Amino acid sequence: MVEKSSQNEGTHSLSTETKLGRITTFVFMRNLIAFLQRFRIFLVFAVLQILALFWYVTFLSFPRNQFLTTNNQIAIQLLEWEHSITKHFNLSENNTKLQWENIYWRKRQPQFMYQLSRKSFKINDTLFEQQYTYIPAEIINSSVTRQNNYFTINIGEAQGIKRGMGVFCHEGVVGIIHYASAHYALVKTVLTSDINIDVNIHMKKTDLPGLLIWDGKDPRYGIITGINNDLKVKRWSKVETRGGSGIFPKGLPVGKVSYTEPIEGQALWKVEIRFAADYRRLQRVYVIKNLHLAEQTNLEARIPTDD
Amino acid sequence: MNIIYKHIIRFLVFTLLQALVLNQLNLGFGIHLMIQPLFIMLLPFDLTVIALMGIAFLMGALIDIFSNTYGLYTSSLVLLAYLRPIVFKLYGPREGYDPLKEPTANVMGASWFSLVFGILLGLHTFWFFLLEIFEIGRLGFILQKTILSGIFSFLFALLIQSFILNNKQKK
Repeated sequence: MVEKSSQNEGTHSLSTETKLGRITTFVFMRNLIAFLQRFRIFLVFAVLQILALFWYVTFLSFPRNQFLTTNNQIAIQLLEWEHSITKHFNLSENNTKLQWENIYWRKRQPQFMYQLSRKSFKINDTLFEQQYTYIPAEIINSSVTRQNNYFTINIGEAQGIKRGMGVFCHEGVVGIIHYASAHYALVKTVLTSDINIDVNIHMKKTDLPGLLIWDGKDPRYGIITGINNDLKVKRWSKVETRGGSGIFPKGLPVGKVSYTEPIEGQALWKVEIRFAADYRRLQRVYVIKNLHLAEQTNLEARIPTDD
Repeated sequence: MNIIYKHIIRFLVFTLLQALVLNQLNLGFGIHLMIQPLFIMLLPFDLTVIALMGIAFLMGALIDIFSNTYGLYTSSLVLLAYLRPIVFKLYGPREGYDPLKEPTANVMGASWFSLVFGILLGLHTFWFFLLEIFEIGRLGFILQKTILSGIFSFLFALLIQSFILNNKQKK
């Protein structure tokens, strides 16, 4: 400091203001460098920590940096190898399930039924148009123990998979496509805290609409919010999808009510359900493609908004 | 064996073990086994903090890529690497550590290892679940997961040390 001011004495041509300004800048820079040196380690820590948290928070909201997830080439290759070993673990159980599913559909094939009325029998009906198609897929990476669980499936944009399509398995709903790359896709499962699938609790006289969420505790149980307590919800009533948003068809099984409890201070039930599907052992799923989705969204875009 | 090769092999083995095996296990009660803190713990004494944090960042990012967790492992491992020298200093000998020694249980003593690794693992696990659940209202659940996962990860780390890493040193 002293040296600096003595140096500056020679430059009389400068006004006092600029001189003062220079000295303050110099002191500030010197302090800044000293500060940086002292807290260098903490600064590196802070930068790395901010990078990691930024990665964490941005993915939860929208997947902008997919190149760092399992859609990455090397990681996908390793996961494929791992899957080629682990897929055999539940093989017999899965085969039995597929066999039962085959029997279920085979029984409903028209050519295996006895034709009672010879007149009104038609397979390619003009009264019913196909609204949903299903694409089979295999889960190659999954987790059920985290707060937000995502599955990786082995089909992607090449098979026509897009963000927002529904995913289900033989027993029930699985989730919604979160992001699709060329050959793989990430499924945001019902085991995430903000999945919000619209469901119905199927009762004798009426259906109660609610939203499905998950509390992160047990992969066998989910929670339905928004059920008014004016009607008593019976245990073991069926829970199905409502199909209002066009992601899932109406009546896809979700689970059964296992426990109800009044929420204090609100006219609502806390409804716990037991999922129909066992997500811990899931291997094969179907992706739902709604052929009428564009029509529905176009139509609903015409709803006048309140300004 | 050259110490650098040893740590590189450990890095790969621990990362793949965590990403491909331990993350797929579902033990119930919120128990989540974590082996990657042991790797950071076992790095040499004379490594600088910045190098430690760099290695931790790389390892965490790799595990995150494999398990679709987007920065969760990275953040908690970087925190662990930042805290390691601080905790080491707190419970270290007065004249400092011998850089030729290794921070393992059978070199530094079981009591020192349990204390230091226990503190580091506890803080790491707490930060991990705090970030994952991200809700202060469910502190009880966070603590339950932290304590159970911490205890089981600690026992698992001791097991790995006494059975696998121990044999390597005898050769």
